[in-house]
Amino acid sequence: MNGLNGIGVKVVHVGGNGNAHAVLREIEARLQLLVEKGEEGSIDLSGLPLMPEDYDLLEETLGEGEVVAEVHSLGPTRIHETGIPGVWWVTHYNSDDEVLAEFIEVAWCPEILLTPEDDVKDGLEALRARLFELNPKSPLGGAPSLDL
Amino acid sequence: MNAMDLLLWSRGPGLGIAIGIFLFGMVLRLFEIYSLGRKRDLAPARTGGEGSGWRTMFTRSVPDRAQFKRSPVVFTTGYIFHIGFFIVLLFLLPHIELIRSISGLSWPALPTPVVDLIAVITLIALIVTLIYRIMDPVRRLLSTFGDYLAWTVTFLPVLTGYMAYHHLLFDYTLMLALHILSVELLLVVFPFTKLTHMVTLFISRWYNGEWFARKGVAS
Amino acid sequence: MRDETLLDTLKRRGISRRGFLKFCATTASMLALPPAMAAEVAAALGKVRRPAVIWLSFQECTGCTESLTRAHSPSIESLIFDAISLDYHHTLQAASGHAAEEAREHSMKQDWGNYLLLVDGSIPLKDDGVYSTIAGISNLQMLKDAAAGAAAIVSVGTCAAYGGLPHANPNPTGAVSVSEIIKDKPIINVPGCPPIPAVLTGVLAHYLTFGAIPDLDDLGRPKAFFGESIHDRCYRRPFYDQGKFAKTFDDEGARNGWCLFELGCKGPTTHNACATTKWNGGTSWPVQSGHGCLGCSEPDFWDGGSFYKALSTPISPVTGAAAAAVAIGAAAGVAIGLANRQTKAAAKAAHQKATIADLEK
Repeated sequence: MNGLNGIGVKVVHVGGNGNAHAVLREIEARLQLLVEKGEEGSIDLSGLPLMPEDYDLLEETLGEGEVVAEVHSLGPTRIHETGIPGVWWVTHYNSDDEVLAEFIEVAWCPEILLTPEDDVKDGLEALRARLFELNPKSPLGGAPSLDL
Repeated sequence: MNAMDLLLWSRGPGLGIAIGIFLFGMVLRLFEIYSLGRKRDLAPARTGGEGSGWRTMFTRSVPDRAQFKRSPVVFTTGYIFHIGFFIVLLFLLPHIELIRSISGLSWPALPTPVVDLIAVITLIALIVTLIYRIMDPVRRLLSTFGDYLAWTVTFLPVLTGYMAYHHLLFDYTLMLALHILSVELLLVVFPFTKLTHMVTLFISRWYNGEWFARKGVAS
Repeated sequence: MRDETLLDTLKRRGISRRGFLKFCATTASMLALPPAMAAEVAAALGKVRRPAVIWLSFQECTGCTESLTRAHSPSIESLIFDAISLDYHHTLQAASGHAAEEAREHSMKQDWGNYLLLVDGSIPLKDDGVYSTIAGISNLQMLKDAAAGAAAIVSVGTCAAYGGLPHANPNPTGAVSVSEIIKDKPIINVPGCPPIPAVLTGVLAHYLTFGAIPDLDDLGRPKAFFGESIHDRCYRRPFYDQGKFAKTFDDEGARNGWCLFELGCKGPTTHNACATTKWNGGTSWPVQSGHGCLGCSEPDFWDGGSFYKALSTPISPVTGAAAAAVAIGAAAGVAIGLANRQTKAAAKAAHQKATIADLEK
C-alpha cells in the first residue's frame, strides 16, 4: 500500500448504503443463538459491499470492549472484543499488513485465540525438555512423556 | 446463442428491423386511408368545422356519462391501462434514455418504485380487460384473433419489463433481451392490427367533430 | 514434491496450527464460501495432490498475467502458487526457446491426464491459424495437444473464455474461445479484461482444496464469483432505485456518487465480483472510481455498442432503416392508393343506371 499512500487522492464519501444495518441484524440473531443454544457463528465482512460510512456505523454501534489481542502467524491477525461482549472483530493481515479477510465472530472466544490441543501436547513436551535441561535429576523433569 | 447474443441482437439488428416494419406499415396505412379520399362536397357548409374537429379530438377523451354507466369496467380499466402504459413507457429512465438516443429529446424520469407500482396496476387492469372480454358473451362473440393478438403484444412488454426489473424467472440479461424483443413484436404487429387506433383515432375524431359543426349551406 | 498435498506444503513451510486456521478462514472467504465452511476447507486440504499446471498464452495482451502477478494478498496466494507446480508459462518462466517447449512437453508427458491447463488469449482459426504461432506450432494445434492430457481447463480472461477483443467485429483472424474448440474436457471460464486476481486464485484454490471444479453458470463461470450482477451488488444501486443519476462525468450527480446508468454503465447485465472483491487489495473498483462498468466479463462486450451509451439504447443507429422504411412505406401506400382508386373508378364505370322500366320488368 506504500505506493498508493503517495498518491494525493481527495476522497469524498457519500454516505453508507444501509448494509451495516443488515450486518448488525445478523449479529443480533447470532448473539441470540449464542445465548440460547451456545452456538457460535461468524460473519464474513467481505460478503456484503460496505462503504466507509457503513464501517464507521458498525464500529460505533458495537463499540470497544476490554480485550485486544494479536496472533502472529502468516502475518498478524488482530482481534478485539467489541463493546458487546461475545462479539469479536477479527482481521487477518498478510506480512505486508494488507487485509486478507475480516470477520465478526460471535463466540465465547474466537477459535484462533484458543490454543490448539496438539499445540498443548507439544508444549508439555517442550516444557519437560526444558526442565530436564535445568535439572536432569528431577524425577518429573526426567520423565520422557505422559501418554496423553 | 446465449442471453448476451440475444440482447445484442435485440438492441441492434432486431430493433432496426422492428422500427423499419413499424414505420413502413404505419406510413403505408396512412397513405392508404388518406388516398381513399372523400367525395366532392356538393353542398359545402356555411360554417367551417375545422375548429370543432380539433376540439372533438380532446373532448372525446372524457367518457360520456351515460356510456360510462353502461360498462364501467371497460371504461375504468381501459383508462387505467392506457394511462399506466404511457407513464411506464415515457417516464422510466431507461426508456427516456432510449428516446433521447434516437430523437435527442429528454425529460425528467419518475422514481423507479413509482413506475414499478404503476406497471403492476397496468398489468392488473389489462388482465381485468381480458377476463371481462372472455366472460361477457357479447364481447366474446365480437372478439377476433386480432383482438387477442393486440392484447397479448401490449401485455408482454409490461410483463417482461416488470419481470426483468424484479429478476423473476430468468437472469436479468435474458429477461431484458426478452423485454426488448416483446417491444419489437409490438412494433411489428402494430400497423396490421387494431393497435393503429393510436393514430387513426385522432383522424376519425377530427372528421366527426368537423361534421358536427356543419350548419346550413353556404350561399 | 509431486505427491504433496497443500497441507504438506503448509507444514513444510512451518505454518502453525493457528496459521492453518487462518489460511482456511481466508481461503473460505476468498472462495466466497460461508465462514462455517472453513472446517471443510481444512478437511479437504489434506487430500488433494499438488497438480502440475501448464499455462498457454495465445492471442492476448498479457494483461491477465499482469493482473495475476499483482494479486493483492501475496502471502496466501504465494502459498497457492507454491502448491501448484507451474511447469510452463512462457512469460514468467526463465527458460526460453527450445528449452521452454521441452519443459512443456516433458510436463505433459509426466502428468498426462492429471495436469491443469490454464489458457489466456483466443485462438485464431482463419487460414489454418497462421495468425498466432509459438515455436512454429499454431495455437490451435498446441491447444488441442495440451488439452488432450489435461484433467481440466481454466480459460483465463475474456479472450480465452469468449473470444474477447480478437473475436470482436470484424474478427480478422477468425478468433474463437477455448470452449469452441475443446468439447470433451471440463472448462472453467474466468472472464474479465483482465480477470480479478483474487477470483482466479480463488478458482485455483477451490480446485486445489476440493480437487473438483466449482459450480458453474450457463456461461461456464464459477457461480461463487459470477453468480450476481454488478448492478445488484453495487453500492450505488440505491440511487438507481431513487432515480438519481449522474448525467455527465463532472456534474453534481457524479460528485455525489449517483448511479452511472445514463453514462453507459453495463452493470445490470454484467456478472463479476468487482463490487464485492474490488481491485488493488480492496482499494476500489471502476464504479467506485466514477466510471461505469464496461461489461468486460460478458461475451461480446466489445460489440455491445458505445461504452458511454445507456444499456437501453440501440447499438447501431436506426435512422437509416427508419428513413428507408418511411420511403418504402410511402411508395407502397401511394401504389395501393392508386390501385384502390382504380378499383373505385372501375366500379363506378361498371355502374348501370336503373330506370322504372327496369324495375317493372
